Amino acid sequence: MISTGLFPYILGLSAFLFTVGAAGVLIRRNPLVVFMCIELMLNAANVALVAYGRFLNSQEGQIFAFMVIVVAAAEVVVGLAIITQIFRLGRELDVDDISELSE
Amino acid sequence: MNVLVAVAMALAAISSLGVVLSRQTIYSALSLVVTLAMVAVLFLLLNAQFLFAVQLIIYAGAVMVLFVFIIALLNPEAEDRPALDWRAFVGLAAVAAVTILVFVAAGNGITYNNNGFRALALQGACTTLNAGPCDPYHTFSFPVDAVNAAGNVQTVAGQLFTTYLLPFEITSLLLLVAIIGAVYLTRRAVRP
Repeated sequence: MISTGLFPYILGLSAFLFTVGAAGVLIRRNPLVVFMCIELMLNAANVALVAYGRFLNSQEGQIFAFMVIVVAAAEVVVGLAIITQIFRLGRELDVDDISELSE
Repeated sequence: MNVLVAVAMALAAISSLGVVLSRQTIYSALSLVVTLAMVAVLFLLLNAQFLFAVQLIIYAGAVMVLFVFIIALLNPEAEDRPALDWRAFVGLAAVAAVTILVFVAAGNGITYNNNGFRALALQGACTTLNAGPCDPYHTFSFPVDAVNAAGNVQTVAGQLFTTYLLPFEITSLLLLVAIIGAVYLTRRAVRP
């Protein structure tokens, strides 16, 4: 059984994973890696949810984390479909080049 | 047990850095597999056995296989390593600052006892709002021992199909929309 004294460390790991993922979204230019960093951020949120649920004697954290996993799976499916379509159009895989919507 | 938690947390942190810093996309994907597996181990240690299985099957299994398929299909070139200028140091400082802030806040702002834990801000509210005796330690109705006696999957499923039935159904609708969207996006363009 995990002791409650470890709770700050687990929240710290969650914050670390989230900020690393956010930094990756900002500095990487490959859209595939950007998607992986988004997965990293969602997992950081899941760690925090499950840790809070565990130490608050609640099950809601696990249920919410389950919903987050489902949403992440749906997001990956649509995002990878968009990336394959961009590749099929003969474009280079670089998020700086794919900026039609911001112009 | 604490050693296991420390090893899992260290591996998750190191491999998450590998996701961001690898030049080859496939190395990023493999680092992410390690991170997801270590997060699954943390779920298991946090008494979330159902989520452990879901994390391994859906994330480390299905989602990462999809990623590796797409990487093999597109074969993206290796990125240049980002230059170590002032922006990189600002980013590193931001990562360190947020991590330390959350760690300190979680260590100082929350107090524990054997019944549960609570935020310090709730301390005053409890004495002013309630005239009678009150337990300042807020606990929910699913203590770990009771959950383990009944079974983690059983309690999660019991709540999922009763209290949280509507969000569950909406999630299934979301999956259906994602399937339709993926099929629509990847179909061949019809020649006019």
